[in-house]
Amino acid sequence: MKKFSLKLRLMVVLTSFFILIGVLCGTVSWFEAKESTDEFFDTYQMALARNLSSADWGDVNHSVQRHTNLELKNITNADEDDEAIGFAVFNLSGEMVFHDNNNGKNFSFKGYTSAFINENVAGDVWRIMRVKSADKKYIIAIGQELEYRSDVAWDLMEEFMLPWFVGLMILLLFMLLVIEREFRPLKKAAIQIKNRKPEDLSAVDVANFPKEVLPLVDAINELFKKLEQMLQSEKRFVADAAHELRTPLAALKIQLDVLQMCADDTETKLKAIDNLEQGLLRASHLVEQLLTLSKIENSLAESIDNNQQIDWKSITQMLITEYSDIIKQKQLVVDDSNLMQKGPILVGNQALIITVIKNLIENAIKYSPESANIQISSNDGLFIVYNSGIKVKEQYLENLGKRFYRPSGNNEKGSGLGLSIVKLITIYYGCKLNFANKNNGFEVKISKL
Amino acid sequence: MRVLLVEDDNLIGDGIKTGLEKNGFTVDWFDNGADGEEALYTAPYAAVILDLGLPEVDGLTILKHWRSNKMKVPVLILTALNDVDSKILGLNIGADDYLGKPFSLKEIIARINALIRRNSGYVSSEIKYRNIVFNCDTKQVFLDNKPIVLAPKEVALVELLLLNKNRVLSKNVIEEKLYSWDDEVSSNAVEVHIHHIRKKLGKDIVRTVNKIGYVMED
Repeated sequence: MKKFSLKLRLMVVLTSFFILIGVLCGTVSWFEAKESTDEFFDTYQMALARNLSSADWGDVNHSVQRHTNLELKNITNADEDDEAIGFAVFNLSGEMVFHDNNNGKNFSFKGYTSAFINENVAGDVWRIMRVKSADKKYIIAIGQELEYRSDVAWDLMEEFMLPWFVGLMILLLFMLLVIEREFRPLKKAAIQIKNRKPEDLSAVDVANFPKEVLPLVDAINELFKKLEQMLQSEKRFVADAAHELRTPLAALKIQLDVLQMCADDTETKLKAIDNLEQGLLRASHLVEQLLTLSKIENSLAESIDNNQQIDWKSITQMLITEYSDIIKQKQLVVDDSNLMQKGPILVGNQALIITVIKNLIENAIKYSPESANIQISSNDGLFIVYNSGIKVKEQYLENLGKRFYRPSGNNEKGSGLGLSIVKLITIYYGCKLNFANKNNGFEVKISKL
Repeated sequence: MRVLLVEDDNLIGDGIKTGLEKNGFTVDWFDNGADGEEALYTAPYAAVILDLGLPEVDGLTILKHWRSNKMKVPVLILTALNDVDSKILGLNIGADDYLGKPFSLKEIIARINALIRRNSGYVSSEIKYRNIVFNCDTKQVFLDNKPIVLAPKEVALVELLLLNKNRVLSKNVIEEKLYSWDDEVSSNAVEVHIHHIRKKLGKDIVRTVNKIGYVMED
């Protein structure tokens, strides 16, 4: 049923339902009609028996029979049915003295019976009763074909059912028309939506919809709105990314031009090559961060394994080891004595948490002056990275974590994406990301809400 | 020609400076808006290259300040925003030309040359003066249609005098227009350059005025 249209389903279900009701009603009507006709005809047979038994059958002979036959034959406008009723009169010795000149002729002689008996008469089943005449010298048999009774009951039922059935069909047709009409706005909306341009995500007009489909239309409109927002943010991201890529590309182009222009000047040439390398590193770092960001956005949208136990201490120590060369080179003092295994996120996706911690440690190392202190601590509900010796101007603090935002006066070439990646993940895990200047340094804090 | 460059990106700023200097320009480079804005009031620049996306004060604000303070020096703006609207906005505020990133060094040099030339009233890139022809784009000097090799500062001085034809330029002005703040200028540098120019292009090419100024005049 799932594949068929709602209209077809409604039609099939309603029609089947109506047919079922019809059959049920018909059956009930049939039994009712059958019972009524049985009652009626039994009573009729008994009344006829009463009449016939009170008659004087002593004088009846063949000429009476003949005369009666002729008499009845002359009635020309009779609308008779020879199975409707039949009778025969027997004397006690079993001789038939009178009959109805019809099926009664074939009735067999039996003694007196006090009940109706179904018996075979010339291949048909007849319901026959027998009574004694008033003078007790004759037996009168009165019978009726059973099939006749059924026919009458059937006719009755038919006459009752036919108008009902016709009415039903009209009702069904009318309902289909109504359904068709009610579905028209849906059809129209479907065509409209189908013919839309992909970028058209405006809301579907809810004016003509039946109340029942409004929740669906509202849900679709809600989805359109979300898609629109997503599309906008994607567009903005692509525009931002293109814009952000232009600067490193411009730098590469310029330095390449310098290299070509100064082919004869070794000193300038070497410097340009060095600059080109720097520029390439910067561009590839930006591209890498862009990819990371988009990967994370994708993975957050999909289902990821979020049931991993996060050991903040081990991850942080592992990452510190990774950066040991540059730490040594810049003579940084890293204090990790306040690291606990538990952090703001207890269970989650380890790869994402590694990205968070890595970005924060990398920033602390990158932006710290030589021989600065870096303190990394974690405990239940909190993770803090502090580095001494550098502050972020207060007016820049609130913009940190926005995509491509880089405070000015920055000599380190970052992408402006690191903290926005951190922010994305911490918000996903229901945590808060805080930036603050503390003592003579800068602190990033992830706290559980 | 002394050019002011305001660009916060290290690699771009360095590249433009190197490239322009290689082409005979003198470049003062500032990597923040505040210093860059101030610099224009303190030295006679032939042109400005201004990046719009600057920290602290953005390029358009600086340009607005300059124009409202009647600074008429030609300005070429650089930006990563390459849409028409921001170009129009920049030009309306008073920029003379516009370059979207990424751009080539040759293009920026050609545009700066054109800006300086037009600002001095020349339409063509070739300036004719007596029997010499100076090409502003290639910085080549021809004497009677024969190319003459001049040192970069000599070329710059010839160009400066040609662009200011019939105006007497004092030794101080010439020094300011030819040397950046980073250059160390010996006290007789201008005289030495003038001497070399006369030797290569003819004694009468430059006239000395009152021992303190120089002029090329028709």
